[in-house]
Amino acid sequence: MQSNISRRLVLKSAALTAAAAATGSLFGSYAQAEEAALSVFGPLPPDPAPPGAAKFAEAAFEAWKAANGASVNYELLAWPQLHDRMATAFASGSAPWDIMYMCGWVPEFESFLLPFVDSLPADLIADLPESSFKTVTSNGKRYGTVFTLSLLTLFYNKEHLERAGFKEPPKNWDEFKRYTKELTRDGRFGYVANYAEAAGIGGAASYWMAFLQQAGGTMFGEGGLPVFKSDAGVDALQMMIDLMASGTEPGSISYAGINDASNVFMSGRASMMMNWPYMWNPAQDPKQSQIVGKLAASILPAGPAGTASIDGTDTWTISKASTNPEKARKLIEFYLDKDVQKRQALDTGWLPSRLSVLGDPEVQAKLPIAKVVLDQAQHPYDSFVTADYTQVSQAIGTEVQKALQGQKTAVEAITEAHELVTAIVKRRG
Amino acid sequence: MATTFEKRRQNVGVLLLTPALIVIAAILGYPIVRSALLAFQDVKLRAGKLDQVWVGLGNFRRIFSDEGLQHAALNTLYFSVMEVILVVGIGLVLALLLNQPQGRGGFLKILLVIPWAIAPVANAVLWKWILSSNYGVLNGLLKSLGLIDNYQVWLGTPFSALNFLLLVDVWKSIPFVTLLLLAALQRVPVVLHRAAFMDGASSFQSFRHITLPAIKDAIGIAVILQTIWSLRVFDIVFVLTRGGPADGTVLLNFLAYRVTFNFLDIGYGAAIANVIFILTFALAISYLWLLKPKTTVGAE
Amino acid sequence: MSFQAYRTGGPAKRIGVYIGLTIFVVWSIAPIVWLVLSSVLEQSALIAQPPDLSPSNFTRENFVAVLASASALGRGVLNSLIVSLFSTALALTLGAPAAYALARLSVPYSNVIGFIILATQMLPGIAIAIPLFLLISYLGLIDSVLTLGVVYLSFNLPIVIWILRGFFLSIPIGIEKAAAVDGAGPLRTLWYVVLPISIPPMGAAAVFAFIEAWNEFFFALILTRQSAQTVPLAIAQFAGQYQTVFGQMMAAAVISVAPVIVIATIFRDQIIRGFADGMMKG
Repeated sequence: MQSNISRRLVLKSAALTAAAAATGSLFGSYAQAEEAALSVFGPLPPDPAPPGAAKFAEAAFEAWKAANGASVNYELLAWPQLHDRMATAFASGSAPWDIMYMCGWVPEFESFLLPFVDSLPADLIADLPESSFKTVTSNGKRYGTVFTLSLLTLFYNKEHLERAGFKEPPKNWDEFKRYTKELTRDGRFGYVANYAEAAGIGGAASYWMAFLQQAGGTMFGEGGLPVFKSDAGVDALQMMIDLMASGTEPGSISYAGINDASNVFMSGRASMMMNWPYMWNPAQDPKQSQIVGKLAASILPAGPAGTASIDGTDTWTISKASTNPEKARKLIEFYLDKDVQKRQALDTGWLPSRLSVLGDPEVQAKLPIAKVVLDQAQHPYDSFVTADYTQVSQAIGTEVQKALQGQKTAVEAITEAHELVTAIVKRRG
Repeated sequence: MATTFEKRRQNVGVLLLTPALIVIAAILGYPIVRSALLAFQDVKLRAGKLDQVWVGLGNFRRIFSDEGLQHAALNTLYFSVMEVILVVGIGLVLALLLNQPQGRGGFLKILLVIPWAIAPVANAVLWKWILSSNYGVLNGLLKSLGLIDNYQVWLGTPFSALNFLLLVDVWKSIPFVTLLLLAALQRVPVVLHRAAFMDGASSFQSFRHITLPAIKDAIGIAVILQTIWSLRVFDIVFVLTRGGPADGTVLLNFLAYRVTFNFLDIGYGAAIANVIFILTFALAISYLWLLKPKTTVGAE
Repeated sequence: MSFQAYRTGGPAKRIGVYIGLTIFVVWSIAPIVWLVLSSVLEQSALIAQPPDLSPSNFTRENFVAVLASASALGRGVLNSLIVSLFSTALALTLGAPAAYALARLSVPYSNVIGFIILATQMLPGIAIAIPLFLLISYLGLIDSVLTLGVVYLSFNLPIVIWILRGFFLSIPIGIEKAAAVDGAGPLRTLWYVVLPISIPPMGAAAVFAFIEAWNEFFFALILTRQSAQTVPLAIAQFAGQYQTVFGQMMAAAVISVAPVIVIATIFRDQIIRGFADGMMKG
């Protein structure tokens, strides 16, 4: 009995201490009530994160905060969990953030966002690529700004290609298949990808969408209904199937994130892959990569309708419920400031989205990938983001996976995907 | 008829019980009711809040025509049945081994307790690493032993992925059932074994006619508990496969999560979740019903 | 032959038992050994094919990096500690009297109540996630360790009640009758007679509740944001979009798993007895 009582006392005081600690933080935030307190929700580095969260432009950030009388609180989360956390928060009507990172979710969360883009300075808007606004526009209004021009391009191992007798990277689908086949030798494979995740940007469906555009197809038509059950849609999927047969690394079907596929590429066990510009730096880091100095990049091989890619669409948005929308907008302007964008590129490896900074000789020298991305940006790069993007890409991605596993033909998979997407769109009404 | 003495005890009993019941009702009661209501609605995020429209049985009807859900149900059936068989089966063998004189070591008991104590998330992360098709130690080991030529993609096909998921959860679940059955084995009075010995029964006969009936209840409980738990598996799917490849490892529980949180189809997700609940409940009740009548130890 | 020899069995059976036990030991311990090894090896050693196990690759850098990083594993451990202790304490305080009431105090419908309490464990978390989240955020209690501790009662309380009820039912009724003869009412019987002999199963129940709370992932995922993040969330954080640093992931797992393994090892006998007493009468 004695031990019971003292145990309870100890636990009680522990609980009180915990309560005090919890409320202590409350008091802490009151002290800053005079300043504007901005809350930013985004991914953990090395995924794209703003200054203060990632290590760049820190001095400039402090200066901005002082000049604007604002304090900024970062809430960072592992990238794969961002969407669900936001969804739950919105569903409960209690999303406490001012600025939020989005990646293809703008139309989905449109009713919670502020269409602030038109209030930005005209020269800033003009300096951003026109097409980058496609994924953040919904019902004619623009809700976000892409802060890094992240397009899929072709990464390849120069040495492997030269050894197989290829002086140039593949320029079209036929060459792509042929090279993949030729390069599959000596225990390595011609191509690697990450197909395990069906949905989302960077998932199996999104890769197919790149091929879809290369074949001249598009996702949606009249009334938002799907129109991809076309030759283009089937050819795109067939291309992926052919690549599998020609020499895609077998593990590709189980790689969930781009990093798994990249690891294979960087260890020299695959010769080509579609990758995001960010991966350029790690691939040149001897600690992580065994192909330092052998990496090169080019625009994606052209399909029947030319080359095309998809937009990584890393975006900043402002919450409709923000108590400081003006300040929030100013913070986003800061994130998009020319110098900050330049440091973003040079220090973290995330390309800028501002065209002027992309063309800056220093940036181009440090990140040769910038030129390739600029080239790729001359061609279509739609990510076909709609309010149902997650569900649609999940449905399509699963069918793509089945086709890649040989469970269905390309025609069967596209037909099924088409039906599923039609049902999804119709349900939204 | 309750005497005043009994009545007083009853009152004290109710007093002691009520706080716990209130807490459970508060934490679970409101959400259960609200969830049931949501299952009959079509819920969409519109205009900055939840837009709820009553659709009666619409969500449930959709469940029957949803191929994806039927696929998930089949996966779940396979997974649960296999898991119960493997866990209870292997657990029984293990319990028998540990009940032997050679198996009485404390070290062995520690080994039982460790997999059970690890967080499912940590377990999933560990096995994801072990099964990695590029750097996983399973591949490394098998290749060094010459058992395979190339590194295998264990999680690469739907069938293979589902079975490895099974392996991961079975590894973690066996200890609990083993301890349960071991406890039951240790309660079997030795005198019964002695009697069998003196009657000239072989070890196997002794097992079949004395041990097995004696631990029948424990086996029954193990089956019930393991079934309930296998239907609640979430963490390992979330970390290892996220339902892939090609929806091969989508279990009903995970499907409900995906529909609710990825697609924000909250009404439909609630319907699926409630169906899982009813299924689990029905299974448990039918098991309990099958467990009666109880047999007394040693009787045939 | 002697009964003892009969029980031990012939050479075939003995060899079989040894083989079986060896397989068991390897099967149980191999993954754990690999977990610990991976946490002390460098990334380059880990991505070699096969992994390079030479001691020259042993390093502390994984642990250093993990403890220093922005994902705040340290805070996660502290939060998990608070949540688990709090939840366990509450569960015992509420659950022990409740279990006694169900076992001995002739509460009407006690079997039904007992079954309902068991039934709550069959509820998939998804079913109540959104309504629970809505309720908690309406009350403004999101992202608090205390909230999480209370929410965890939803499974800790039934566990405690179940185990203790089973144990109380197995206490010889004579002990309590003796107390009654001495004039003790139910409360005094509980406090002075029953509880003192219930320390082992209470310990078992406490360990169960603590470990379940420590390992819980789903509700922690939904009901916390930054400050109340628990250890399982911190581990899951290591699977970002771009990088998987395996060594660090394993180091984080080791840190998260070490406390429960220590507790489980120290209290293994109580746990096993808890199974025996509690589960059997269920």
